[in-house]
Amino acid sequence: MKSVSELTDFYYKVLYPTLKKLEKDRKHLRYRILLVGSGYTFVFFLIATTLGKNLNFGADFLAFVFFVYFGIGAFVYKFLIKDYTDEFKNKIIEPLIQELDNRLNYTQLLHVPQHLFERSEFFKQTVDRLRGNDYVHGEIDGVRLEFSDLHAEKRHKDSKGRESWSTIFQGLFIVADFHKTFHGKTVILPDSAQSTFGDLIGGWLQSKNLERDELIKLDNNEFEKKFVVYGTDQIEARYILSHSLMHKLLGFEKKSKHPLYISFVGHSIHIGIEYNKDLFEPSVFSSLLEYKIAMEYVQTLHLAIGIVEELKLNQKLWSKR
Amino acid sequence: MSVSLIILLVVIIILVLMYNSLVAKKNQVENIFAGVDAVLKKRYDLIPNLVASVSKYMEHEKGILEEVTKLRADANKPNISDAQKIELDAKVSSALGSIMIAVENYPELKANENVMHLQHSLNEIEEQISAARRAYNQAVTDYNNAIEMVPTNFMAQAMNYQRKAVFEIDETQRQNVNVKELFNA
Repeated sequence: MKSVSELTDFYYKVLYPTLKKLEKDRKHLRYRILLVGSGYTFVFFLIATTLGKNLNFGADFLAFVFFVYFGIGAFVYKFLIKDYTDEFKNKIIEPLIQELDNRLNYTQLLHVPQHLFERSEFFKQTVDRLRGNDYVHGEIDGVRLEFSDLHAEKRHKDSKGRESWSTIFQGLFIVADFHKTFHGKTVILPDSAQSTFGDLIGGWLQSKNLERDELIKLDNNEFEKKFVVYGTDQIEARYILSHSLMHKLLGFEKKSKHPLYISFVGHSIHIGIEYNKDLFEPSVFSSLLEYKIAMEYVQTLHLAIGIVEELKLNQKLWSKR
Repeated sequence: MSVSLIILLVVIIILVLMYNSLVAKKNQVENIFAGVDAVLKKRYDLIPNLVASVSKYMEHEKGILEEVTKLRADANKPNISDAQKIELDAKVSSALGSIMIAVENYPELKANENVMHLQHSLNEIEEQISAARRAYNQAVTDYNNAIEMVPTNFMAQAMNYQRKAVFEIDETQRQNVNVKELFNA
């Protein structure tokens, strides 16, 4: 697989003509957004103030006005950047993926199916709405791999029947075949209790988590500090989490620089990287040629596609041959 | 309700909780040892097949083959204690390791499909045993901590709970495993 620096070279050399054209589009687009945005704001508030004065509404009306303003605003914004986004994804993101591994397919508007996200058991809340895009799937050295951007949300209703949504997870969700045979479930979550309350009380709190299966204490201190592991089978969890895999997962965690969720259910490894934002979207207000922006696309893709090699998922054990 | 009655009630609840947690820890150890035992048995079941496959070729290693067969017979005896099982496991691991290294000296054996399959099965079982040992060691550590730490140690003494032994994974064993992995790579 190509390294991050090779991929960065590809971004700046091979994709340069396309980037330059997109950069020109971006500047036009930014100008148009500012123009349309200010015009829209002016007209909207002109109408709203006239209506408000004549009909004499209170604070509720003000909240409603803002709600409508942002609602329509977001819709208009999405409409304006649609062509630019499509072009960026087809001419930049897709070639980057192909360059990393041409056995992978890219579909802009699909995402990893909901049942796989629910199977991962990262979160116990019910997912009321799941959105996502940038679906990548394929087979590398006999290991099936799929990932996409995901945004899982939960619906809340207050006493007045008003609806609101809260985020359960937003980030990159990866599913791949795992090379060992297992039957139970093993779920690895970022360790919040132990780092907040210390080893003794935090550890006790973890063992009392009624929502989860048995607490699995592992014999790698660094891993224990970073993660908390729950599973249906003490022996099987350790069969999966060998010393070498724990070491590799720690390396992966350092590279990802974001909270990491990992689980082993039904022949697969699931990985969730919590970025808390929509990934692989083109930047509108800063240059696509900026190193920081470029590295974000390159590193995220490299991280996701790299798991097969990084975690050695392609080295099949005898039981699976 | 008088204060003394409330205190008595709280003390009783604490005692019950301590008692239950100790019993739970002891049962966890036994429970996981059953899992250890199951994978150990799987490995013992492979031994006759392995010995039969390699003994024709291995003239110089007759001693070690006999030893492994004897160890298997010992392990299959009824009424052996957990501590003895742990001891036997260590011996079998090292003996099997030596056999596997010796196999490398016999090109006919290395190419033999049956031996290859056995080797692969042993590697797989070795991974499972390692996982089982680690799970057991963790359970025993939790148990040993509970019977030695204040305040549960008083309760443990009253219940006559004794410290339990863990699987020692010594350096020679680790090296054996490493060498085997190297050959298989």
